[in-house]
Amino acid sequence: MAATSTPQGSLRQRNVGGSSKKIKDGAASDVELDKFPKAGAAKSGPAGSDRDYKVVFAFITAMAFLTRFWGISHPNEVVFDEVHFGKFASYYLEKTYFFDVHPPFGKLLFAFMGWLVGYDGHFHFDNIGDSYIANKVPYVAFRSLPAILGALTVSVVYMIMWESGYSLPACVVAAGLVLLDNAHIGQTRLILLDATLVFAMACSLLFYIKFYKLRHEPFSRKWWKWLILTGFALSCDISTKYVGLFAFITIGSAVIIDLWDLLNIKRPGGALSLPDFSKHFAARAFGLIIMPFIFYLFWFQVHFAILTRSGPGDDFMTPEFQETLSDNVMLANAITIDYYDTIVLKHKETKAYLHSHPDRYPLRYDDGRVSSQGQQVTGYPYNDTNNHWEILPSVNDDHKLGRHVKNHDLVRLRHVVTNTYLLSHDVASPYYPTNQEFTTVAETDAFGDRAPDTLFEVRIENGKTNQEFKTVSSHFKFIHNPSKVAMWTHTTPLPDWAFKQQEINGNKQITPSSNIWLVEDIPSLPADHRRRQKEQKQVKTLPFMRKWFELQRSMFWHNNQLTSSHPYASLPYQWPFLLRGVSFWTQNDTRQQIYFLGNPIGWWVASSVLAIYAGIILADQFSLRRGIDALDHRSRSRLYNSTGFFFLAWATHYFPFFVMGRQLFLHHYLPAHLASTLVTGALVEFVFSADSAENEAAYQAIRAGKKPATSAGVKRHVSARERFAGQSMMASWIATILILSIVFAGWYFFLPLTYGYPGLSVDQVLRRKWLGYDLHFAK
Amino acid sequence: MATNDRAAVATGTEAGDAARRRNVASSEPLQSGTIIKPDAEDTKKAAKKSPSILQVLDEWEWVISPLIFTALAFFTRFYKIGLSPIVTWDEAQSVHLSSTGLGDYFGKFGSHYLKREFYFDVHATVKPPAGKLLVGLSGYLAGYNGSFEFKSGETYPPEVNYTFMRQFNAFWGAVCVPMAYWTAKELNFRRSAVWLVTLMVLCENSYTTISRFILLDSMLLFGTVLTTLCWAKFHSQRRNSFDPEWFFWLFMTGLSIGFVCSVKLVGLFVTALVGLYTIEDLWNKFGDTKLPVTELAAHFVARVLGLIVLPFLIYLLSFAIHFAVLTNTGPGDAQMSSLFQANLRGTEVGRNSPLEVALGSRVTIKNMGYGGGLLHSHVQTFPEGSGQQQVTCYHHKDANNDWFFYPNRRDEDYNAEADPRFIGNNDVIRLIHAQTGRNLHSHEIAAPITKADKEVSCYGNLTVGDDKDHWKIEVISDAASRDRSKIRTLTTGFRLKHEVLGCYLRAGNVNLPQWGFKQIEVTCTKENKPRDTYTHWNIESHTNEKLPPGDPGQYKSPFLKDFIHLNVAMMTSNNALVPDPDKQDDLASQWWQWPILNVGLRMCSWDDKITKYFLLGNPLVYWGSTAGLGIFATLVAWYVLRWQRGFRELSQNDIDQIHYAGIYPVIGWFLHYLPFVVMARVTYVHHYYPALYFAILTFGFLADWFLRNQKKAIQYSIYAVLDATVIGLYIYFMPICWGMTGSNKKYSYMKWFDSWRMSDA
Repeated sequence: MAATSTPQGSLRQRNVGGSSKKIKDGAASDVELDKFPKAGAAKSGPAGSDRDYKVVFAFITAMAFLTRFWGISHPNEVVFDEVHFGKFASYYLEKTYFFDVHPPFGKLLFAFMGWLVGYDGHFHFDNIGDSYIANKVPYVAFRSLPAILGALTVSVVYMIMWESGYSLPACVVAAGLVLLDNAHIGQTRLILLDATLVFAMACSLLFYIKFYKLRHEPFSRKWWKWLILTGFALSCDISTKYVGLFAFITIGSAVIIDLWDLLNIKRPGGALSLPDFSKHFAARAFGLIIMPFIFYLFWFQVHFAILTRSGPGDDFMTPEFQETLSDNVMLANAITIDYYDTIVLKHKETKAYLHSHPDRYPLRYDDGRVSSQGQQVTGYPYNDTNNHWEILPSVNDDHKLGRHVKNHDLVRLRHVVTNTYLLSHDVASPYYPTNQEFTTVAETDAFGDRAPDTLFEVRIENGKTNQEFKTVSSHFKFIHNPSKVAMWTHTTPLPDWAFKQQEINGNKQITPSSNIWLVEDIPSLPADHRRRQKEQKQVKTLPFMRKWFELQRSMFWHNNQLTSSHPYASLPYQWPFLLRGVSFWTQNDTRQQIYFLGNPIGWWVASSVLAIYAGIILADQFSLRRGIDALDHRSRSRLYNSTGFFFLAWATHYFPFFVMGRQLFLHHYLPAHLASTLVTGALVEFVFSADSAENEAAYQAIRAGKKPATSAGVKRHVSARERFAGQSMMASWIATILILSIVFAGWYFFLPLTYGYPGLSVDQVLRRKWLGYDLHFAK
Repeated sequence: MATNDRAAVATGTEAGDAARRRNVASSEPLQSGTIIKPDAEDTKKAAKKSPSILQVLDEWEWVISPLIFTALAFFTRFYKIGLSPIVTWDEAQSVHLSSTGLGDYFGKFGSHYLKREFYFDVHATVKPPAGKLLVGLSGYLAGYNGSFEFKSGETYPPEVNYTFMRQFNAFWGAVCVPMAYWTAKELNFRRSAVWLVTLMVLCENSYTTISRFILLDSMLLFGTVLTTLCWAKFHSQRRNSFDPEWFFWLFMTGLSIGFVCSVKLVGLFVTALVGLYTIEDLWNKFGDTKLPVTELAAHFVARVLGLIVLPFLIYLLSFAIHFAVLTNTGPGDAQMSSLFQANLRGTEVGRNSPLEVALGSRVTIKNMGYGGGLLHSHVQTFPEGSGQQQVTCYHHKDANNDWFFYPNRRDEDYNAEADPRFIGNNDVIRLIHAQTGRNLHSHEIAAPITKADKEVSCYGNLTVGDDKDHWKIEVISDAASRDRSKIRTLTTGFRLKHEVLGCYLRAGNVNLPQWGFKQIEVTCTKENKPRDTYTHWNIESHTNEKLPPGDPGQYKSPFLKDFIHLNVAMMTSNNALVPDPDKQDDLASQWWQWPILNVGLRMCSWDDKITKYFLLGNPLVYWGSTAGLGIFATLVAWYVLRWQRGFRELSQNDIDQIHYAGIYPVIGWFLHYLPFVVMARVTYVHHYYPALYFAILTFGFLADWFLRNQKKAIQYSIYAVLDATVIGLYIYFMPICWGMTGSNKKYSYMKWFDSWRMSDA
């Protein structure tokens, strides 16, 4: 293989020379990570050093809480997607069933928060800008949940670096970049899911590193603890949003590399027997796949257990599912419709009834187009006998009663009061030249030469063939049979000639859900009619797995439907450069706005460091290939294994978005940004401090001495403190202070856009339009 | 097990080496028996007599086999090729494309096609021109004058020699068979495996069927197979770097890459395969510190020349011919720049147009961005926003594209009697839509789709209106003159700046919804980017009775600019990605259906009277090759895991064989398959055919790998069973390739599954 020509130098990273092939694997594997952890290392260094870490940790955590909580009560209005997630929390508190494309964990946390402060969920967060004060919502309690998680995220970032054995400046840079990042702050001060998501993602990295450091004590109690915790963090991640899957890819890749090394017959720690290896494999499969999945299911069980009452999410589910919800009016009142029943049709979206009256369409509309001058068919929001239509079969069956109308049946509708028949034809509707006019014709025409045009198909939404057509519960589209247009209406009122009632027309686009109608009642049935008698329905139960499957399918399906464009949607390539943000909230009087945007300086630093990292790796590979070894073994190992792991986390949290079809926003980059700050911290250390030559010499000596006492040589953990013992950290500190001060400046400059306070003058707004950010109040 | 393997490998290596020394080596008596399949029993006897027939046959196998296979290929591909006189499936499209070229070429019949509404217009189709040119050439050779309107399902008129045109296409499909033979040989398969691979290509019903019609797919297949062959040849020359033969195969590889990419962009996938190989190759050489740097550089340069520059030149050449042939105006014109159109024969653009534009001129205004249309308006109004009359950009040429230049409202009114006043840089004008008399207008209302921009509408009339109808002309470029005091037809590129809002008129290729008839949204953008070509406009047609006619079309549009323009239009064309409503959607299939041969495709109507063709593969080839991919993955995983556990059972030769004859074909399969999984476009079964070829090679590799060291009896019996099944199934399914006549019920015996709809029964 190619590797035979690889120069000896690169072998140094391997303690056992042996086969030449391993160079590449060695580069990618984490074999050496354990050289650095503090665990097991005798605390030889000055104790004060560890205290330094702790002091800085406490300080950064305090700052994190300060930045996240400062002015959290402002604005006291519904901001951006709080509309959704606040609403869902309210639904949980009211126990009414709702539907959302995200898994339940993050939303359950909010509900829990609301429950803690005794909120009853009366407010439904209907519009952006609704006042919290007027509606008496404990919004600060809601917001403090993400704020706490957001603040802790900073601490976790610090601990990741610390646990990975990086020097103090490196820890400070990484944590500082998150601490002073406007996007992290902005996203975690509002009632949104991303704080939970990012926190869980960061925790999964931290716990995995903790777990990995214990690999020389496999199956110990601690080893299991961190394995399970990693799995739990992963599970929380994916139970919040499905992008949590990316963390599985990150950890999964690291695990695969780890397993590959365990399989190695010439493994430094001695070969593992296959049964031992299987144990390793099974433990990870259990801890990182099976157990997280069980947790994931558990949240759904909680979800179903809480939401026992019928609510706005009913419509997304099958009737069988809906029967498990209490007081589901819809199902209780559903009556199967028979032919020759008189029915009332209601448009689902605008709540208007299908209506007709003897007045006719005017010959000529204002814009000069002509009508058929047929009888008007309109939408009318009030009860009226003119809303009564008799449903007739498409073929003459001698008025045979008791026959049910089925899905896909062709039917006619007779307007009872005027004794005319509903019809559509290729005449433009009053407002829409592209849509067909609806009118009615007399009986002779309806069964004469216009007969085909009076035929309509009942198409029940998600219905099966031969499903019965029921009142209330059957949502259906009414498709004109010859021309395949769907009966549709919209809210713009017709002129006076139609008494400002709604226009009904035939929509060529059949798919939109605005075409959906339902039958509200059967007025021809007396209130005490036998068909109305229904035994009191017991709330049914369904097996959990069946409910879960149904919901899961529905969630994926709707998730894929989220392709519509959004004015502030962005594309993945724009994120690392921070080309645009999202307008969250504006207030005209005070000229205040919240514009979701990262700290441009911090982002650009992090993104360019990613490029530098890739460049260093490439350069190293190329020079190794030519037999030039420019790095000492420890730096290289650190660069490939530890920093490589962070880089992998960034890549797996970023690149999958490129193939995603749904609309994307800047906040999707937050987990990847967090990983990029880790790389930045690590690289600051790499660039500004060198490993002491002493270590390298000692290492070479050990290598030369053939079989070293492996237990001592390999397993000895070296903390950053030891590594840099006696070495000046001055350069690192200067770089850290420089970076953090410009980052601080950037953070401070964009602060008014993040906190929504204070309002900015035109000039101030213009100065912040760095890459043409589409800010409000620019004039 | 391990010891067995090791022992087995030892002999296998020798055999492998022997095979690599070309087929002649196999004349050793010991080998000959293993390789000749038929008449196996006689081998021993035959070997004793010195120049027996069998030995001669054996010695000349490298000539005889390809000849026989080629003959069979030509027979299966040509037999009864003209049976169906009906335009079948996509023949409509490919022939039409070529015929437009022909018609234009001959000039006589050009106008004939222009009336036709063709979905994919000539210039903006997503396929590069080489394939269409070749089809056109075949038509030319067949004496076809391009006067026949092709519609799927119609009968060819007597004067069209469609048989010849089909034969021309079938030729490309037929020569794939001997090339598969040579490729397998080059990959060091032993003779039986080589035969198996060749048979699988020869007896592949879907390859047979697709080759027998006037479609570009046989050429694509040819290009893919040829590129693979050249790559394999080049690879086996790797120890003879810079020998003439090495150079020959390097440039042949480049040549075929150029060809296949010029036929269909799918060719890029096989290019990627060669690219990956080259990168790996160079990386290995880069790591060889004993190699002089100059030689390393020479390797690098040779590959850049052979595999990048040469293919690109060929691609360029195909476009040069395309432009040279298509000299007449056609329906695809509007996709191209005005200047390009002006140089087409028979075009209205630039003919008799006055050179300089004055107030009162009636003009059409063309967007200069890639695929930009003409500024357009119609009586329909915006359903949201201002509710005023829509302004869009549209490629179709009609009177709604006409605009009048009028003076601004502060200026004195336009006087038809007075001397013409010319328009120049920085002049403020109004544009009045000729059909409705309304002014081009913009205001503080967000555009319907691009919300960040302002809406552009048509509003008011000659008297009603305000200064929001005022547009300032900013000249960007002029191909003809440095003088910016006058706007010239075709040559002047300018921007229109809204005087009040300070924004620029832009049409950024964003399609409006149905209410805007899917035309392009026109907005007024705040961003002042002088290099944004979507804000650049030029005058395309121009009439003004008071001005003398000129000939602005004398300025040529440079070839490279046209080339880039057309390519960008091709790549960004939405047509490539959006389902084509004109095509019957029940023909489409999904990626997961292909490898398991879940569906076929009806190529024509299923009437009893006509000859029916059904696109379906040979089940053994499909299922076998798909299973082979899985087996191969298992095999590799097995060896890698054992290697990590310290087993060293493979020699370097074995590893090389797996690497180049196994892994590369699998990579080829992935490269040709995965893009269709990811792509959101409508896909059909024939999109799998190039990938299938690589799956067949993988299957051949596995057969070779597992059987090469088995007992002869086992080898013979397994190969015999495989070969016989492939041939048997091919013949069994032959009617779907050669045409099913009469009632489709007759053929229900082939309908193994309901989804194989070759029969309605």
